[in-house]
Amino acid sequence: MNFISRALVLGSLSTLVGCATTKGGTKTPDTTEPTPASLVEHCDDTQKAISKEADAMASPYGIDQHIAKNFPDRRVSWLMTDSAYQKFVVQTGAKNFGRCNDTACYLFAAPSAAIHGAVEKSKTADGKHDPAVLGQALGLPAKNFEGPLRMMTLDLGAQKICTRLPVDADPGVWKCQTPEDTDCFKFGGYTSGGAPEVMVINAPVADTQVAEIP
Amino acid sequence: MSDEEVLLLSPLLYRVLREQDGALSIEVVVGGIMQFEVRVRLNAEETESFQREGRAFSDRLAQAITADPPFGGRSVKVSQG
Repeated sequence: MNFISRALVLGSLSTLVGCATTKGGTKTPDTTEPTPASLVEHCDDTQKAISKEADAMASPYGIDQHIAKNFPDRRVSWLMTDSAYQKFVVQTGAKNFGRCNDTACYLFAAPSAAIHGAVEKSKTADGKHDPAVLGQALGLPAKNFEGPLRMMTLDLGAQKICTRLPVDADPGVWKCQTPEDTDCFKFGGYTSGGAPEVMVINAPVADTQVAEIP
Repeated sequence: MSDEEVLLLSPLLYRVLREQDGALSIEVVVGGIMQFEVRVRLNAEETESFQREGRAFSDRLAQAITADPPFGGRSVKVSQG
């Protein structure tokens, strides 16, 4: 009997609680967007350790603030000459973009909006692009943008790609020779020309959109 | 260009070529958010080092070029058609 009474009391309580949470829509709708997970969560232990060190050097800034401030849609883009794309991506059947060693493939990338905007602005009447306009928009020398290009775009959030602040030891880092250099690496998440950048680890070719820029 | 022989193609984004005249050159993808290739002709000492060490040497040479693409005025930007 004791057991039955207890079961009845518990049953009534749970019904009451159930009514309180569902009746009349008293459950307030959650209007705030959940904070997206840090992209560093998608990194392996090696990249997490590098990211931790980079964030400590950049403190109180860090990769999460950098992404929130400069990459709010978590979409990145980068440019390659068409010939480099053909030789090192197409002809090799590369799985990932970037410079690959035993640990990973390393790729510098900028906010998609900035790259797409600069490319759009550089379009000429004959359907090609003006290297000078593109260079000026991205804070890099115009000569780097001569000839046909490829523009790549990748959604880091959707594809869960490991991303961190770039560091001096990353493959491909162009060391500044003089303070006036505008196409070399400076720690802190921005190119020496002022464009935001991140280091993307193992950017998959299959999930990347590639556009021709004549 | 088509008569060149590719001796080595590296996932570090460089390749070592034997040019028509037999000389070796290295073509390296440089740059960050904008990547392009530069080419450097190997001198006698570098050629000998590559023949002796192979990839270990060319990896070091490619890294030196990516770190300083003008490479003391020795590099030429690869032109495109």
